[in-house]
Amino acid sequence: MNTDPDQPARAAPTDISPWAVMRPVRGQIGVAMALSAASTLSTLAALGLLAWLVHGLIQDPGTMPWAALLGAAGCTALAYVLRVQSFSQSHAAAFRLEQVLRTRLSQHLARISLGEAQRLGAGALAKVMQDDVKELHVFVADSTPLYARAYVAPLLTLVALLWLDWRLALGALAVLALGFVAMNLAMRDRAEISRRYHLAREQVGAAVVEFVQAMPVVRTFDSGHATFGRYHRALEQYLEIVTRWYREAGLSARLGLAVLNPLPTLVVLLWCGALLIWQDALAFSTWLAVLLVGTGMAEALMPLMSLLHLIDKAKLSIGRIEQIERLPALAVAQRGKEPLPGDTSVVFEEVEFRYEGSESAALAGLDFRVEPGTVTALVGPSGAGKTTVARLIPRFWDVTAGRIRVGGVDVREMRPETLMQQVAFVFQDTFLFATSIADNIRLGMPGTDMAAVIAAARAAQAHDFIMALPQGYDTQVGERGIFLSGGQRQRITIARAILQDRPILVLDEATAFADPENEAALVRALSHLMRGKTVILVAHRLSTIRDADQILVLDRGRLVERGRHHELLEHDGRYARLWRSYTQAQQWALGAHAVEEQAPTASEETPA
Amino acid sequence: MNAETLNPDQTERLTLVPWRETYRRLLTTAGEHARGLRASLLGLVVAAALQGLALACILPLFIALLRPQPEWSAVFVWLATMTLLALLATVARWRAMGFDFDGRMCRATHALRVQLGEQLRRMPLERLQDKRTGELSAMLLGNVDENLNYALTVFNMIAAAVVAPLVAALVTLWFDWRVGLILLLVFPAIVPLYRWRRPLQDRDKRRVAAAHSRTYADILEYTQGLPVLRAACCEGEKAERLQQGFAQLREVQEQAERAAARPAILIASVVELGLLLVVAAGTTWVVLGSLDLAVLAAVMVMVVRFAEPLANFINFTTVLGIIEAALARIEALLAIAPLAQQEPQRTPDRYDIRFEGVSFRYAQSDTPVIDGIDAELAPCSLTALVGPSGSGKTTLTRLLMRHADVQAGRITIGGVDVRAIPPKTLNGLISAVFQDVYLFDDTVRANIRMARPTASDAEVEAAARAAQCLSFIERLPQGWDTRLGEIGGRLSGGERQRISIARALLKDAPIVILDEPTAALDTESEVAVQRAIDALVRDKTVIVIAHRLSTIAGADRILVIDDGELVEQGRHQQLLAADGRYRAMWDAQQATKDWHLKEALSV
Repeated sequence: MNTDPDQPARAAPTDISPWAVMRPVRGQIGVAMALSAASTLSTLAALGLLAWLVHGLIQDPGTMPWAALLGAAGCTALAYVLRVQSFSQSHAAAFRLEQVLRTRLSQHLARISLGEAQRLGAGALAKVMQDDVKELHVFVADSTPLYARAYVAPLLTLVALLWLDWRLALGALAVLALGFVAMNLAMRDRAEISRRYHLAREQVGAAVVEFVQAMPVVRTFDSGHATFGRYHRALEQYLEIVTRWYREAGLSARLGLAVLNPLPTLVVLLWCGALLIWQDALAFSTWLAVLLVGTGMAEALMPLMSLLHLIDKAKLSIGRIEQIERLPALAVAQRGKEPLPGDTSVVFEEVEFRYEGSESAALAGLDFRVEPGTVTALVGPSGAGKTTVARLIPRFWDVTAGRIRVGGVDVREMRPETLMQQVAFVFQDTFLFATSIADNIRLGMPGTDMAAVIAAARAAQAHDFIMALPQGYDTQVGERGIFLSGGQRQRITIARAILQDRPILVLDEATAFADPENEAALVRALSHLMRGKTVILVAHRLSTIRDADQILVLDRGRLVERGRHHELLEHDGRYARLWRSYTQAQQWALGAHAVEEQAPTASEETPA
Repeated sequence: MNAETLNPDQTERLTLVPWRETYRRLLTTAGEHARGLRASLLGLVVAAALQGLALACILPLFIALLRPQPEWSAVFVWLATMTLLALLATVARWRAMGFDFDGRMCRATHALRVQLGEQLRRMPLERLQDKRTGELSAMLLGNVDENLNYALTVFNMIAAAVVAPLVAALVTLWFDWRVGLILLLVFPAIVPLYRWRRPLQDRDKRRVAAAHSRTYADILEYTQGLPVLRAACCEGEKAERLQQGFAQLREVQEQAERAAARPAILIASVVELGLLLVVAAGTTWVVLGSLDLAVLAAVMVMVVRFAEPLANFINFTTVLGIIEAALARIEALLAIAPLAQQEPQRTPDRYDIRFEGVSFRYAQSDTPVIDGIDAELAPCSLTALVGPSGSGKTTLTRLLMRHADVQAGRITIGGVDVRAIPPKTLNGLISAVFQDVYLFDDTVRANIRMARPTASDAEVEAAARAAQCLSFIERLPQGWDTRLGEIGGRLSGGERQRISIARALLKDAPIVILDEPTAALDTESEVAVQRAIDALVRDKTVIVIAHRLSTIAGADRILVIDDGELVEQGRHQQLLAADGRYRAMWDAQQATKDWHLKEALSV
């Protein structure tokens, strides 16, 4: 959209034009701006007619100048109607734009890699979709008509003044020019300082969040000054930038305020006019017309200053919206042409993966095969890449080299639905939707009858606690419903996976459980889930996986050992060390005078 | 994040605040700059009045000019007077706006923010941990300048829209009472009109805000649930419902817009009609010969100048609402009293802890989370709190740290009620290590040293060594001077936990609280953290909340808490023998301890 006349001249903090975001509704915005311009024209006409009215009264004092009076009334009404229409169009366009942008963003999020979505964070994404889109409203709805007027009004006025009397026009123009210069001086280096201003604001924001969130730690540890000092420093930096901005721009801004005010123009026009009339070089009614029409010329420029500030603010939001829209969508195989998986094996072939922007590979040269119906455990210290391996299978990201095959087919050549019908995932972060428990269990399978849902819940050890809830399976979960404990939530997600009954299961074992009784139930639930499946398990508690068909030991993204439990122990390498520290950790008990049979002072032993 | 608190500017009930109240609050928030602010506000009123007078000079000017024989001397006298008044108005406004431009307003909001920050440190922690208050406070602290910096600008607009026309109308009264009266009726009338429609406007705003927070909740659910949705192959279906929500939001927005437009149209019509009335009546009176044409012409020039400020006034009423709300919230936040200090203040000299009939419930809740707990913790003993999640274990430790005060009973340290111990002393007595570790955006060294700012480098390093931190700190890109804000994500849970333990070690407080410190760690980290904890708890009075019962089996005393009540207490063996709640938990845990795959796949 190229309605912004001085767009190329202004160096923006970001390279994007804020007007581009309006593309989906630019027709309607154009209409709104045109209506606003028409309204301005109509206002000027009404003012001209008022002067004509006085002119009529001077010429013929005894007659009612109906034409001028009705004309002025009509033009005023018209101007008003046009203005209301303009705003109503621009608001409608802004609301439609909000809907379009949110829809587009939500669709796009369903197509990008889940890893990217996770890296940005669900909360941050939601904030962009909600707050940043909303932030555009003032810019799109309120400022577009004003923007049109701020440019059209002075221009039309000048034309009218030149037509009425060129000498007075020059006087008004001089004032306008002075104001314009002052304003431009005030706006000088605006892009740079406004960038620094927003930066400082963000720092203040971060310091505030830290200060508030960390208050428990602050109170116990910080005898007072470190955190408060950081908060204080951020505030002082901000104060310094703002006062500098005011100081640097202050004089010219104040000058602008003083000049772009009706009084100076009025005074100039009154003096010039009076002198001209004194010289008999001007008719009173012309003068009056100039006074009525021309005084507002400079005033119309005023909103530009605050509008530019608004546009700067909108740009920050637009930048964040564009950042999401620019995330590449995952390549998806075309319908019909895709090969179908032959069995339930999972194969990693020379898989390399690096996170975007990271120099070192998170996974390298990973080569293994999971036979149908077997259990493979991934173990290793934190940061070894276990979870990354699990997440590459459902294509949270795509590998940077090598390939992953499920049932013999490269996951990138399968359509997402085909892939997902093969593989079920149970991750640590259990997520339930704000609907009924039954709907949470049969997510994605809306037709499933209650008997199947209940059977899955029973197998997942969830049936009993669900029945104890006020509305049983119809109980609503989340913000507006019941709050479940971590263990209960986990069992519901397991029930979901049991119901889905897919041949391959990728499982990220939980590291922490809410309480012992929950843990026992959870373990039984997992047993049901894993039966008869090809299982890839990210294990944190090594005792679980002693009987796995294959244990893959990862360290810093590489496969360092593989084999069964006893083989690996015999080999006495990385796994054996992990196993020893695991057993040691299991035996630790607080306090040196530990109880007899539980912990033979494990803490004093040296670890591997 | 709680969706309802997203935009407090809109969700909060904006009752009609008297302007006098807003004025008082504004001056209060200006603190030491209150005098300057008052002078500045007065200056703006004076400037507006002078502007009204300057405009009114057109009346005698036109009268002198339109006489059959123009009185040129009078014309130029009035021109000069008007120029002078305009200059004075400009000077007055220039000086008044100086409060903004020479940075006094910024300094005032800066001081206010510092004051609000201090207040956060004083108010009961429980209030701050309440999500809504916490987020509101953060928002307030973040936006206070944006909200208040427009105060002068808005006030200037109100003055220009109300005072200047009023003065001009009063002067007109003197030239022609009928025209003056119409002017007086039209312009000031918009103020009560505006006040009258405000509650209506607020109701619509709340409706839109509610729709927004619904949409936000839906969006958040969608972005959070995306992996699950994709795994279940129903992201399309969910997205469709989400998009229906967007369409509904738009409908609500449009409805509210239409509803808001009606009163706005009414007000604008009153103004426009009033202006036309002045012109029509004036013209009629001129034709009838009862009004000087010069007066009509002058009134036209004046009245046209008032239209713009009036339009601005209407546009900026939203900002006025925001300022009013911000001021009210600042006052409310500053009014939260810190926990009452019992006199005389005392400092304990031994560190046994007693809970005597302690009961507590949160402010918004009817049911107690802690209900009549009695327990005695000997000095340098190890006490474990066990029980299902949500049973009140963490609340009990928070009460000891005085995040809030008990409603019944009391908690003593060394025989001294915690409410009689000065807050700083109390904080000095207790170290806490939580499951979630908060690291600050500062260097590793500063993150540890914050526990005792006077500690030497050697002492900081000794604490880090005892907490098993040295090996990984030395691996960091800039070692001890690495800023954790930039690499915080690269530290593992165990490493973060060890830094927090180093902090606690350095602080060397006689009482240590451990809240599931090893719950979310991987095996190797766990061993290191366990060793760090061993160093920390030596010769301390320790309270530990633990899930894995084997880790606390050696405790001097185990308190089993369920639903806020102490259901069992004793040593491990005693509790096992008692065959109660603890025994059941222990058995459940033993049963899962040896669970492994063979069992899973063969059952």
